[in-house]
Amino acid sequence: MMWVQKKIYLLIALCCLVGIGAGGTMVQAADGAESYNYSYWGLTTVAPAAYQANVLWNGESIGAGAFKEPSDFHVTEDQQIYVLDSGNNRVVVLDNKFQQVQTISSFVHGGKEETFNNPQGLFVTGNKQLVVADTGNKRIVQLDQSNNLIKVIEAPKSDMLNEKFDFQPVRVVVDKAQRIYVMSTGVYDGFMEFSPDGTFTSFVGANKVFFNPTDYLWKMLSTKAQKSQMVMFTPTEFTNLDIDQEGFIYATNGQESGNVKKLNAQGNDILRRNGYFAPEGDIRYRTADGPSRLIDIDVGDSEIFSILDGKRGRIFTYDGDGHLLYVFGGMGNQMGQFNTPVAIERLGDEFLVLDKALGEITVFQTTEYGRTLNEAVRAYYNGDEDKAYSLYQQTINMNSNLEFAYAGIGKSLLRQGDYHEAMKYFKESMDQKDYSKAFLLYRKEVLREYFPGIMTGVLLVIVCWFGISKYRKRKGVKKVAFMEQ
Amino acid sequence: MPSWNSELYKYPLYLILHPFNGFWELKYERSRKMNLVISLVILFLLIVMKIMKTQYSGFLVNIVYPDSINSLMETLYVVVPVLFWCVANWSLTTLMDGEGKFVDIFTSTCFALVPLLVIQLPWIGLSNLISLEEVSFYQFFNSLSVLWCAYLLFVGNMTVQQYSPSKTIGTIILTIVAMAFMAFLCLLFFSLIQQMIAFVQVIHQEIVLRR
Repeated sequence: MMWVQKKIYLLIALCCLVGIGAGGTMVQAADGAESYNYSYWGLTTVAPAAYQANVLWNGESIGAGAFKEPSDFHVTEDQQIYVLDSGNNRVVVLDNKFQQVQTISSFVHGGKEETFNNPQGLFVTGNKQLVVADTGNKRIVQLDQSNNLIKVIEAPKSDMLNEKFDFQPVRVVVDKAQRIYVMSTGVYDGFMEFSPDGTFTSFVGANKVFFNPTDYLWKMLSTKAQKSQMVMFTPTEFTNLDIDQEGFIYATNGQESGNVKKLNAQGNDILRRNGYFAPEGDIRYRTADGPSRLIDIDVGDSEIFSILDGKRGRIFTYDGDGHLLYVFGGMGNQMGQFNTPVAIERLGDEFLVLDKALGEITVFQTTEYGRTLNEAVRAYYNGDEDKAYSLYQQTINMNSNLEFAYAGIGKSLLRQGDYHEAMKYFKESMDQKDYSKAFLLYRKEVLREYFPGIMTGVLLVIVCWFGISKYRKRKGVKKVAFMEQ
Repeated sequence: MPSWNSELYKYPLYLILHPFNGFWELKYERSRKMNLVISLVILFLLIVMKIMKTQYSGFLVNIVYPDSINSLMETLYVVVPVLFWCVANWSLTTLMDGEGKFVDIFTSTCFALVPLLVIQLPWIGLSNLISLEEVSFYQFFNSLSVLWCAYLLFVGNMTVQQYSPSKTIGTIILTIVAMAFMAFLCLLFFSLIQQMIAFVQVIHQEIVLRR
């Protein structure tokens, strides 16, 4: 009888254990370990999902008829979405509820009705002028708010351009001063800058030339005739661009590293790369798969920017200092995965991803984690350190692997004067510079506190040492005297 | 005769400050057994210091991936170079009319490593009390200890083998080459052994599975 009871107890205990185990796994499953981040050591660490795909829109559900190979879209400040439906040669304008507002498929040019021909890029300015890179017609078309033509930019003529120059604009942005920056296929000298009146002024921000040392050796050894047959060393082309509120151009290119750039007016790269790794998408990949191939970039508020990896369909978001915030997306057939992603945009805090082959827009909404992290980065950017402190604290409660957040907490602790605690947080985020700053203040504090004690100790030691050596000397003298006797 | 205890630390300290006299005494005047004991103690302390250095150095001078800390490997990092150096040096100097026995070379090498101990050991603690700007002091003293060590190795080799300075420098360069050669041979040896073991394992597996 006794051991039957014992067995029952054991069974109950076992059930409890299994129950606890099951609960644990369920929590993990709900968390979704498909998202990740990179640690200081370059290892992949799991992270909770910051964004989740909720809605999928296509041409029919929007009410504009199926999209055919849309290649670009743009969200304006008043949250209207301009989708460039390249295959149907039209621009579909949606409101923020994804309902069609209007469709622009033609404009009047010189008294004639004209259409687009396979346009690849578009941009909408602050006062809602529409600029379209009309690739098939080799021109840029600029329309005003009510779709009247403002100007057409045809292939420019300039000393800087080759005579055989082929103008194939594919992406376009406009800055606050109405200058137009054009990315054109086959142009290696950077972006083409056009003045507000449509004349070509210069190239900006050419990429560096990369070449293989062995190729270079062969080139050195070959004759002029052979050289002319060889491929030229040309800088890599840009793959996309975006412009932020301050007029800085963010650009991506097809290089392996240094593939994200922030260009100032002179065309210099001023992107801050203070994260554990430079922003370039995946840093761990199989050699067979290769590095990320960036095909779009989007700049949000507070210098937060996102890049789209066309190879693996992932969206990487970084803060202004270059810390990787979160990764989401992927290739596949499920909700939140893509076939041929081509463009990303932000609609408020939501992310929109345009899929070219499927003609669909996937809407990603923030999870609680993503929301908190976004707010934390914004608060930190705006200098509101107390708010950033509590928000960062919340994010590391949700994701203790988010190493850079510890530095954010450390900085506000430093401000509050809790140096010792700040040191711990800086150590957690491997931030030597700020650790040193906190440590210096802490050392000063400690020394000030214990200065009298330390000085007394030192004095005592000196006196003792003096006394002992005197005593020894006398003893030594005595010994000598004793020996002399 | 001074007591055993004070001898343990006084003589090495005397040697690093007066290397010419020190090494001469080491070779011709002191008991070999005593020297060997002191050498082994120095080597042991060096191992302890190396382990402590990776474990306890300050955050500003020492960022190590915690999973990669391995005391056994740290021990090897100390013992293997010293043994390689001694063996390579001994093999060369016996062919080049050096007067040093292997024990002499080993003890002189170990004694020459004392500056590392004397300087770097306190800096393990001190490195926890410095800021980023003061890290250059840490680096300065570390390189100082290495240079001092190199100087002592040079003097020790010269005294023990009774070489001229230029010949000593030549021998040291050759020793380094020989060390590289030995490292290569060791790698070859171990990889071959590994292959042989793998071969036997595969045969064993084959026999077991074919039954």
